[in-house]
Order: sequence, then structure tokens, then C-alpha cells
Amino acid sequence: MKSALKWDVIAKCGTTKARAAVLTLPHGPVNAPVFMPVGTQGTLKGITPDQIEGLGCQIMLNNTYHLGLRPGQELLDTCGGAHVFQGWNRNLLTDSGGFQMVSLLKLAEITEKGVQFESPHDGSLMLLTPEHSMSLQNSIGADIMMQLDDVVSSLTTGPRVEEAMWRSIRWLDRCIKAHKKPESQNLFAIIQGGLDPALRKQCIEEMVKRDTPGYAIGGLSGGEEKDKFWRVVSQCTDLMPREKPIYCMGVGYAEDLVVCVALGVDMFDCVFPTRTARFGNALTATGTLSLRQAKFKDDFRPIEEGCDCIACKSYTRAYLYTIVTKETVGCHLISIHNTAYQLRLMRQVRESIIEDRFPQFIHKFFKDLFVEKAAYPEWAVNALKSVNVDLIQGENQP
Amino acid sequence: MPPLTFNIIRQSTQRRAARRGTLVITQAATATGNTPTTTTITATTTSTTSSTTNVNGSGQNHGHVAANKELIKRVIETPGCFMHTVKGTVPHLTPDTMRLQGFGGVHVSIEQLLQDHQPGGFDKWPLTLSKFLNLQDMILLCDLRDPSRYFKVPVKSDRHIAIKTHKGVRQLTLEEYLKVVRAYQPDIVAAMADQIADADVPPAGTGQGSLDAEGETQGSPCSGPGLKRVKRSIDRSLKWLDQILLDRQGMDALAADRAADEAKRQKMQKAATGHSHDSTRGVESLALELQNPDLITTKTTTAMTRIPWSGVSVFAHVLGSHVEQERIRSAEETARREAVDGFIVDTNPLHGSSKETILNLLKVSLDHLPVEKPRMVYGLQTPEDVLKSIAMGADLFDTSYPYHLTEDGKASLYSFGSDSNSINTVIKNNNNTTSGEVTTNRWINLWDDEHANKFTPLLEGCGCYACKGGRHTRAYINHLLKAHEMLATVLLMSHNMYQYSKFFANVRQSIEDGTFEQDSASFIQQFGSEPERTGKIHAAQAIVEMALSKRNRLDGSNSASASSCRSSRNGNNSSESEGEQGAMSKEEKAEARRKLKEQERFERGEKNRMEGLKRKKEKQQQLVADERDAERTREP
Repeated sequence: MKSALKWDVIAKCGTTKARAAVLTLPHGPVNAPVFMPVGTQGTLKGITPDQIEGLGCQIMLNNTYHLGLRPGQELLDTCGGAHVFQGWNRNLLTDSGGFQMVSLLKLAEITEKGVQFESPHDGSLMLLTPEHSMSLQNSIGADIMMQLDDVVSSLTTGPRVEEAMWRSIRWLDRCIKAHKKPESQNLFAIIQGGLDPALRKQCIEEMVKRDTPGYAIGGLSGGEEKDKFWRVVSQCTDLMPREKPIYCMGVGYAEDLVVCVALGVDMFDCVFPTRTARFGNALTATGTLSLRQAKFKDDFRPIEEGCDCIACKSYTRAYLYTIVTKETVGCHLISIHNTAYQLRLMRQVRESIIEDRFPQFIHKFFKDLFVEKAAYPEWAVNALKSVNVDLIQGENQP
Repeated sequence: MPPLTFNIIRQSTQRRAARRGTLVITQAATATGNTPTTTTITATTTSTTSSTTNVNGSGQNHGHVAANKELIKRVIETPGCFMHTVKGTVPHLTPDTMRLQGFGGVHVSIEQLLQDHQPGGFDKWPLTLSKFLNLQDMILLCDLRDPSRYFKVPVKSDRHIAIKTHKGVRQLTLEEYLKVVRAYQPDIVAAMADQIADADVPPAGTGQGSLDAEGETQGSPCSGPGLKRVKRSIDRSLKWLDQILLDRQGMDALAADRAADEAKRQKMQKAATGHSHDSTRGVESLALELQNPDLITTKTTTAMTRIPWSGVSVFAHVLGSHVEQERIRSAEETARREAVDGFIVDTNPLHGSSKETILNLLKVSLDHLPVEKPRMVYGLQTPEDVLKSIAMGADLFDTSYPYHLTEDGKASLYSFGSDSNSINTVIKNNNNTTSGEVTTNRWINLWDDEHANKFTPLLEGCGCYACKGGRHTRAYINHLLKAHEMLATVLLMSHNMYQYSKFFANVRQSIEDGTFEQDSASFIQQFGSEPERTGKIHAAQAIVEMALSKRNRLDGSNSASASSCRSSRNGNNSSESEGEQGAMSKEEKAEARRKLKEQERFERGEKNRMEGLKRKKEKQQQLVADERDAERTREP
């Protein structure tokens, strides 16, 4: 199908499956691997568009389901789409609303036709079909739009997983058919199939035939065992076309990002950095600081030495301690810092790939974060071993 | 050379009328590479040969004691504003956005910081408050209380004052207060004062006699305060002021107090162990005895000298409640203290009286203050009150007005002087509604549904962050409010602060042009006066908050995130809002009304108890949520 993007791989890691690329979208270039912050309702948690740009963010997420409810399609059409609506002139990616099947399951009824949501407040019904999702996403005008998929929790087993996989393929066909602006908006397919390698394989085979501009790995990050998670990711990147961007949905912990990049993933999104910020948790290369704790009362260091975000440039941990979870500014500042941290991490990953020292970067990253090798998560050690990086044996191993 | 200077640039020919000036803090530049990366708004550097001490103690003079020392000037143009803060931060605005508003000063309430940074812990304190709050480019004024409201706090002794921290009321002694000042080293500090409100004290005549009666609240709330209580509040505040001024010079002004306290303690011990039959009278007579501190000072004449804090300017509170004579006495007595650098007239305790009465009482105070020193006014922050106060010779205000507008979801449309005509024609063009009042609206409420489809800026032609280039529209902000997104208040605050700053700039221009009186008159004619702030929330807001709490019950996973960042005043929180939308059923509307009523009740009484319970609950929720937080990574 038609594509409105350009995917230029500029460097490949000599050891792992990682790659550095430039993804050129209608609203400008995106340096991959990339972490995309999530602004569900057309805003990134109190951060102004200027501040987000200032962090070097090139692409942000919105959610179709939420924007479809409010402000609604009519208003989005009137003002000319979500970019204009929120004053954001860089790229947008919209999730289709499929994930809300899982998160709002109590209120959703899934049929072949689509998903029927019941509003948790007034009981009114909203039928989200592949066609409706496409129509909404066309109105939103995101640079990348996701197909409506039949999402099941990654903990689900049995025939429902296979049913969801086949339905996602059928819905992809309906999405492609309903997509009105393939020349200016990119539709990504979402690979389903749960934790079953056979289903994943079938799904990829079918979806690759549809030749969408990019592919996402869906149905993960739902609390499944990490050891199963990475195997699915690695299997998918092996089977997916290497000349297109690969997006792993809902991944956002730092170690997950680093491992998944090594496994060949290019794009990520997660609410975690901004959500955890509102609880006063600041992310750093050496771990999370829970700034609510009284131990920071007299700590006159910035959150992270060397960070150039406005929170670190302006304030000490001691002051942030006095305002986090109390003042909205506390939320804003930690959200800005956490977003800056995620974006910086991805920049560092990308640079190390370009300079072909990604394995060394991985070693240092894990050492900084976990200190002791005994503390390294086993799944990460295994996953990285599968791409020739042996965390335990050390850097000298091939 | 004192760090603070006040220059009157233009004074109207009429007696005590509006004046245009500058409040300047001059400071030796300290070349530490540690300056924040912020834009300095009004800083200008000049060279001078005079040697200046490191007034703020904020940085280390890194060796180069040059003959040509750089001086940094920080300026507030007057009439002008200090930015009102909560916990040392301008509500909703991160430091970068805050600096787009065009203010040169910040007002910080000490009581809001003390719970976390106790005077006892100041030995470890390595920073000045300016540095701690990253406000080195601003003029920092510290007072004990929040200038935007009045909390009734009893004062029963000359030794301490009650303050309201976010964990409840606590006592602060003058000694602790001085510790705070020494540690914080603000540019300006307001002297500790015994501020009383009408409702605090028994009506005239009833509060006589016993020492204990003062501060008690059996008086009827409508009647004026007891004369004796008013007098005492002034005397007490003057005593504190003198002690503060002495301490600033490096003298131990509290030695007498300490000795008296010690004597009292010993005597009480004696009384308790010995003659228990008449102990109360013993204490009372002792208290009277202690009124004359000269008796004791002789014992401690060798008061140790302390490091002076002459780099900090002192503003004194001018008191007097409703008693004109006492207001005059307070003003004159305070003015007599040459070392006082400026004055504060807090009208918050007078609220409850008519605006006219308050303004008259303000005038009584201002009329008896020396013209050459700056006067700050609390509690009269609406544009028309500001204009009236300026006309009486007030110079400085705070920004609690734009903050309150923001909390209510409102955006300013008012404008002053030359700007007002052009802007209003624009508004007229934009609002093709039938009501003719629109043109004179001082603000719009963004909760109103009518803005849902208005793809126009808050105010056409406004240069604030939110409006500039038409980037953020009314429709977007309406969406953000309904979606319970924090960017709503960021944008509104940005706009309202910017407009307030512009209002003052226009006022200053108008004074310079000699058109202030006419411009004020036409402003008041055009925009009327601010309606009383009722504390009621907009119906649309009530609906959203109700939907949110309902959803939180339904889906427990979000309950903590909804309450976690709730600002303590007006629920602006930060949940990952799902789609709560649409029309409400009758029952739900009833529930919304019930909630409103509940809130009013909540605000009237039982506040502390309920807050305590809430905090406990929130803590638990937060713990639960944090665990979940760790598991859930994707948007529900």
C-alpha cells in the first residue's frame, strides 16, 4: 500500500540487531531508535508544546479513543486536526483505541463488527469499528495511525488468542480499505498472537502481505513473564521486514528499551515516565529517586548531574521534595525531567549504534543501573546473550 | 550603600496621589559560574569604584576583589507586583514559563516552607532562599503569611506567633524567625507582626482586664475589635520590629526575652513546688513584672554580638484594625523607625467590611507614612482595587488575583489605558452574541460550553505564551479543563499573569503621561468591579470532578493518581483521564449539587480534621498505586 514515510537506516550494530535510522514523516524527521512520550488527550501532562520541542522530542502519541470522545470528530475536522488543535507542529502517532479493549474490558463488548464501549459515566455506547477508527484517525491527522486490532491481555491463553489474531488481520484489511489519506498518513499494522510463536509467525506472514508502511508488535507489556516477552519480540523482529520501522507498543522502562533496541526494535511508547513523575519518582541512570522521601529534604544536588532539563538546571532534590505531589509545578518538573531522561537515553543508544559501540554502551548502562551483576535481571541477560552481548562475562566476549 | 533604593520618578502634583517609581536592589556581582540559565529581566550592570559588601551572602567572592566591581541591579517598576507563590513556586508555572510574564519580584510565604525546612535544620542549610528557589534574578520578598488570604491564628504571647504550615498550625518564636531570615537571606523581609482580624477579638469593652482574654474569640464576629487588643497588637509588633532591626545590626536583641523567659520558668517551678495556693496570681504578677525588661537586661548586658544581616531590607507591617486612631499611631510609630525600608498594609484582616471602609482604612495608613519609602498592599488585588490603592499612593501588590482567576478557569480580558480601546473593538468583533455586556467583560470563563468550538485565542492580539500566534485556542483550553489536564491551568495562568503585568505597565505609562485619573475612571466605568469570589466551582467543573471520582471508584487503579497531585487548594489534579463525557442523569446532577454543598461545608468547618483523614487515605492509596504503577506501563 501507499506510504507517506521514508525509512533510512544509517547504521547497523555489528553485534546485535540494533540499528540507527532516520524516519521521515510528514511533520519532519524522527531519529530512530525513538521513544515517543504519550499525550493521551492531546497534551503531555502539563508540559507546554515549546517545552516538549525543547527536549528534542520529534514525535508524540495521542489516543484515538480519547480524542474521539473529546473534543470529538466534528471539532477536530473544524480546526483541521490534532496538530493544530494542540499547537504541536511535529509528528503525531495515534493509537487506534484497541488497547482500551483491555483496559476498559468491563465496559467493552467485542464482536466481528467492532468494539462496543460503554461510557463509564453516562452509559452511552460508542461502537468503534475499524472504519470508524480510521475515520477518526483521518480527522486527527496523525502522521502514523495504528490499525484497530483485537487486543487480548497477554495473560490470556486458549482459542481467544488465535481468534483475536485472525480478527486483527481481517480488521487490518478493513482499515486499509477505509483509510482515506494514505498519501499523507501512514497506517501501521499490529502483530498479534499472544505469547504463541506459531500464531505470531502466522500473523506476521499475513500482515506482511498487506505491505503497510510500518509494523508494530502488539499485545505485550500486559504483565506477562519478561522471559516470554523478549522471546516474542526477538522472534517478531526476525520475521518482520527489515526495510521498515518496527514499533514495540507500551514499552518504556529503561532496561526494556535498551534490550528491545538490541533485539531490533526502532520505536517505543509508554505512559510510565510521566505517570510515575506524578508520584514524585524521578528517573536517573542510576535508578529511580522517590522524591517524596524525607531523605531528600537536605539533598542539595540536582536530580541528575549533567542533565540539562529545566528541573535539574533550576532546582535541588531538596526543593523538589517540598513540592512533588503537592504542587502542579512539581508534577510538571518531574515529567519534564523524566521525558528528558528517556529521550536522552535513546539519543545515547543511537549515537553508540552509529559509532558501533552499542555493546559497550549496554554494559555500562546495566552497571550504572544495577551496580552488581547479581542484580541484573535474568531475562535481560538471556535476551542480550541471544544477540551476542554477554552481560555476565563482560565486554571482552564477542 | 544600602542594597535597596526606592526612586520616585514621577509624583502627581496632587497630594499623595499616584506615583511612578522603581524599587531597586543593587548587589555586587559574584562571579561564581553557578548562575542559573535564566533570562534576567531587568538586570543592568554598571561599574562603580565603591566597594560593596556581598549583600546577599549568596555566593562566594571568588578572590577577585576588583577595584571596578560589577554591580547587578534588580528592579521592580512601580506601581508593580511581586509574584505570589505557593511553597516558593508561582502556581502552575515552571521557571521558564514563569519568566515570560514580565515580573521582577517574587513574594514567598515562609510558613509554607517551614514544615519541610525547620529552623532547627538550618545549620545544614548551604543556600540562600533565592538560590534554593532559583530566583537570583528576581527581588525576593519574604513574609510569614500568604498575602492572598487571612487565617485566624491566635497570638497569646509576646514570644511567638502562630503560623499555618501545610501540616497544621505551629508556633514560631521571634528567635526562630530570625534564624529563618539569617538562613534565607531574602532581599526584603517583612517584620513579624501580630495581625488581627475583626472576628478574632472581643468587641470593645469586653476584652478588658485579664491578659488571657486577648486572642480569645468570644466576641461577636461583626463588631469591631477590642481597642485594647488592637493596641496590644501594635505594641507587640513594634517591639518585634525593634528587636528585628537590632538583630539586623548584629545586636542580640533577644537576650532580655530569654532572660525573662528563664526567670519566669524558674519562678513557675518554684510556685509549683512551693506555694500552690495562689500560683496563678503569682504568674500574673510576674508577667507584669516582666513587662519592664530593663530589670532583667542589667543581668545580661554582655549580650554577644552576632553577624549582622544588613544586606536584607526590612518592610514593616502597619496595623490598627478598624480603629483609625490606632492605624495612625501604628503608621507614625513605624515610620519613626528610620531603619525600616518599606511598609506593608495588609487589608486581609479587614475583609468582611465594605470595600469603601477597607479603602478608607488603607488611606488612613498610607496618609501617615513617609512618601519616600515604598508601600506594599495585601488583599486588594483586583484591578479596580489596585487602581484605587495606587491613587492613594500604594506602590506594590501581589499576583494572587490572576492566580484566583486561573483556579476558577477564567481568562482576563480587561485592559487599561491606551490598550483598552483597540482590544475591545476586537472583542466586539469576535463575539457576535446578542448581549452587549460582552464588550465590557473583564474575563471569560473557559468552563463555559460556548468556548468549546471557539478556535480563537483567549484574547486577540495578546502576546502571552498561550495566545501568541494563535497557538492555543479557547476550544483547546476548554477541552483541557474538561479532560482534567494540567496544561489548562498552565496556559490560563500564563495568560492571566501576562495580562496583569501588562495592566501594571499601562498604569505606569498612564501615570507618566499624566492621564492616570481619567484612565482609572474610564476603566472602572468600562469593566465595573470584580464580583465577590464565592468559592463555588463552575457547574461543568463539578460534573468533571464528579465523573472523575466516580470513575476512580469504578476503576480503583486510577484513584491514587487522581489524588496524588491534587493541589491543596483547588482540585487540579493529574489523572490519566479516560473518557468521562456527555450528559448527566438527574441523579448525577443531584449528586453534583450535593458535592458542591459538601464542599462548601468542608470549607466552612472541620477542615483540619477532614484534611488529616484525607491525607491518611491518600498515603495509603499512593502506596497501592505505586505498586501498580510499577506493573502498568501502558495507557489504560
